[in-house]
Amino acid sequence: MLTPQNNRQGREVEMQMIQCRLWLAFTIAIAGQVASPAFAQDMQFTLEETEQNRATSGEQAPSSTSPQRTTEAREEIYAVQQIYALRINRVELMPSIAISLNDPFVSHTGIGLAFNFWWTNVLAIGLNAIWYEGLETESDLSFQVRRSTRLSIPITQSQFGAYLNFTYVPIYGKFAMFNQFIFQYDAYVVGGVGVMRTRPIPVIDPDVRKFDYEFRVAFNLGLGLRVFITRWLAAFAELRNYMYLEQLENLNVALGEERINPSTWVQPSLSFINNVTAHVGLTLFLPPEFQYRLPR
Amino acid sequence: MRERKQSRFLLFVLAFGCFNFVSPLYAQEIQITGPLAGAPAVRRMRMYRVMRVNVVPGIGYTLQDEFSRSLFVGLEANFHFLDWLGIGIWAGYAAALINTDLTSRVMERGQVTSRNRFSLPDREQFDKQIGRIQWAVSAHLIFIPLRGKLSLFQSVFVDTDLYVLGGAALFGIEERASTTIDESGCGERFDQAKCRESQLARAGRVAPTPMFGVGLSMYVNSWFGLTIEWRGFPFSWNPSGTDEAGPNGPFPDGKIDGTDSRTTFNHMVFGGLAFLLPPDLKISD
Repeated sequence: MLTPQNNRQGREVEMQMIQCRLWLAFTIAIAGQVASPAFAQDMQFTLEETEQNRATSGEQAPSSTSPQRTTEAREEIYAVQQIYALRINRVELMPSIAISLNDPFVSHTGIGLAFNFWWTNVLAIGLNAIWYEGLETESDLSFQVRRSTRLSIPITQSQFGAYLNFTYVPIYGKFAMFNQFIFQYDAYVVGGVGVMRTRPIPVIDPDVRKFDYEFRVAFNLGLGLRVFITRWLAAFAELRNYMYLEQLENLNVALGEERINPSTWVQPSLSFINNVTAHVGLTLFLPPEFQYRLPR
Repeated sequence: MRERKQSRFLLFVLAFGCFNFVSPLYAQEIQITGPLAGAPAVRRMRMYRVMRVNVVPGIGYTLQDEFSRSLFVGLEANFHFLDWLGIGIWAGYAAALINTDLTSRVMERGQVTSRNRFSLPDREQFDKQIGRIQWAVSAHLIFIPLRGKLSLFQSVFVDTDLYVLGGAALFGIEERASTTIDESGCGERFDQAKCRESQLARAGRVAPTPMFGVGLSMYVNSWFGLTIEWRGFPFSWNPSGTDEAGPNGPFPDGKIDGTDSRTTFNHMVFGGLAFLLPPDLKISD
């Protein structure tokens, strides 16, 4: 039986329940509003935004967050640091100067250009080419040895080389300069196969013998070090051995009519040549800007 | 009453949940701004060099030699005022002298005629007339611009620094002794024994030269490490012991002397074990 007193109590309970539900809805709404920026985890941040925010964080930047929490958070470090310059899905252009190191008779100096595409952060496929013709120089040693000892050393000259290469980066890290500046670097292994176009320089019978450039199958293997100046520009030094089978000039001169027979001008067997070359140059990563999938 | 309690409990759980859910927001914001912003580039860095001496016994090997390579045993000592600057001395002795392939070829297939017998009296003795580097000492300034770590396949980590050095060096060189074509008996009045004897005559001298280099030190612990460095030292000498030029007249001038010298860019790699004293090192702030 409903009495007026019971009825009033029932309405009060009902009102309280409505108030509770309103509070719940309000709280959920607030929670939803406050929590929603957490989805920023999935947002994309450009490097500039990240750098700007980082630069201002050292100051007492106005923030909706409590200063106390910010101070505490400064003591934290990242579990995993972001790599300074991502390579994945970027193209690398590497102009360089190439200087041969192990041939005392002919300096095989060249201008090199390499192109790499990084399909992972540590693995790239690419092409490189070196142009030698017009840049090589024959040292005095070759002539002086011929003059003083009557010993002719067969020498060759190169026109160009072109290779398909794979690059792998097993080592990367950073150096501090004067405990102040940080330089990122990586060390890489590079190797590949290609062609060289070379010919002998006639020194045994130069009055008769003339040689044309011919293609040789060549292999190369090398080690390099890349130091990043910015996220898209780096300097690199590389030591690479270009190996190929070379056709050298015949040390013997055929007699009679055979002297003008070109088949007698070259040695009957091929010689294995190691052309150890130092490359020094710059490397440009394109596109110059990139985005991390997730921000810090 | 039960419903009220349930509602309050739900409110509490929700608020707690919201607090926990919201809290990553702050971390997220900190992550964007960077918690180490304004901090020094390196903290608590192990300073292996400052006010310490490193003594490096090692082995060196000359590179790209035309006629003779020298295998050095050497000792280097450096003292560092700062972690990035120091002074040092280095000394080496050529424990082994090794003929290059070119020298071996001349000994096997060189030809002696009346026109070149002053330069090459006897092809089989050619390795006795070529110039050799016997010893070297140097004093240098050492500058360490880069300091970091090497990680190999993310399994081996070593503290590493890269240094450059520059200074002056003295190289002890042994060359074919000065002579003339007439004195040696290699000229018109040919005396084979005397001519061959002139090929064996040696003279030593000291060649001053600038020296510069670059190296890498890897530290195993606070007092021990490994170093490998490259040094360049151009100087003028007569590495072949042949008559190559004269001061005035055309080749040959009939004299083997200083005018036959030419400048070569000599260089070597030197690797050693680095002992650092005192054994304890400083750590930066």
